[in-house]
Amino acid sequence: MSPNQADIGGQAAGPIDTVDHGMKFWEKQANALRNTLTSRKLVRLDELRRAAEDLGDRYYRLGYFERTTEAMRNLLLEKGLFTRGELDGKIEEVRKRYDS
Amino acid sequence: MSHAHPHDPAKDDGPPSEHEILSRAIQELLEEKGLLTAEQVRKRMELFDAEFPQRGSRVIAHAWANPAFRKRLLADGKAACAEWGLDLEADRLIAVENTPRVHNVIVCTLCSCYPRALLGMPPTWYKSENYRRRVVREPRAVLREFGTVIPDEVSIRVHDSNADMRYVVVPMRPKGTEGWDEEQLASILTRDTLVGVALPKV
Amino acid sequence: MTPSTYTPAPERRFNVGDLVRVKNANPPGHRRTPAYIRGKQGEIERVCGRFPNPEELAYGFDGEPRRVLYRVQFKQREVWGSYAGSNHDLIEVEIYEHWLEPA
Repeated sequence: MSPNQADIGGQAAGPIDTVDHGMKFWEKQANALRNTLTSRKLVRLDELRRAAEDLGDRYYRLGYFERTTEAMRNLLLEKGLFTRGELDGKIEEVRKRYDS
Repeated sequence: MSHAHPHDPAKDDGPPSEHEILSRAIQELLEEKGLLTAEQVRKRMELFDAEFPQRGSRVIAHAWANPAFRKRLLADGKAACAEWGLDLEADRLIAVENTPRVHNVIVCTLCSCYPRALLGMPPTWYKSENYRRRVVREPRAVLREFGTVIPDEVSIRVHDSNADMRYVVVPMRPKGTEGWDEEQLASILTRDTLVGVALPKV
Repeated sequence: MTPSTYTPAPERRFNVGDLVRVKNANPPGHRRTPAYIRGKQGEIERVCGRFPNPEELAYGFDGEPRRVLYRVQFKQREVWGSYAGSNHDLIEVEIYEHWLEPA
């Protein structure tokens, strides 16, 4: 059994929700952000995939875009594109803006 | 610097989730550091919304109408699209054709690789764990859940896009479409038919 | 030069039609060879070309030297114990050369 929890081909599973539930606006923007990062070669797709796999148990507790967003955050911190302090500060600023 | 988005009817109701806030924060930080601009992100959003999803059905309709293009598409998907004026960006496209003996279906078991520059964003079911788990092992049962029954004498070929290639299915052209123009042909080539979970219906 | 799906791979170990077996290894880290296909025998269906090694790219390295990527075809009844579909169903998976041995 592969140690990568994303490697799930062939496992038993229940019925598939065959309806396409589309994307929320923030998910489209997160996707475009991710795509801009790779097309500008700030990160590689392979790094983003690996960062998602490195989420461990969280991998299955998160929805698809939650997962890709956390992977993006972890990778960008790893690569030093910003610091934890800068990110926490910006998160608070964005949260206040939404609250007002 | 304004961070307001233009009004979007699809804009989400209710307070933003932690992940929405995180995503916005990451974007704004990167903008402040001059690593990307809001305009670049907005342009990518537009491509994914308005441009990419239209392409797949047009390309396959053209293949149905033009045997020489079909041959080129099956030989080298990226080159055929480029010659036709379509830049597939990073997608290394392999077109696989359905025949009376073979039905193709696509998956990415490891994540969600999908020919986004040809078809737009994958549907939620394609990215779902249950599809990724089951379609490689029991494709016929999975296709039945989509309402598609493939007779036993037709072999099913599953393609796991697990590395650098991306796939699109060229369905069989149904009877009753004789004399149709490419726009009409494209109208029955739904996204689901190009991933292989549905068959085009006249 | 027109873009192509494929890149040249003149120095390659395998050719279309060769019988190969996927290595039965379980190394940790980022791998693009799915667990379900490891140890299975198949046939080279197509040579895709040479690409930087994703197992290295994933950790910020340049992935050089490039590795040859193949599409390998397997009979479903040989991949899964008690496969429920038809005898002639197939599955095709992209496998890097360093994961393959002659069968």
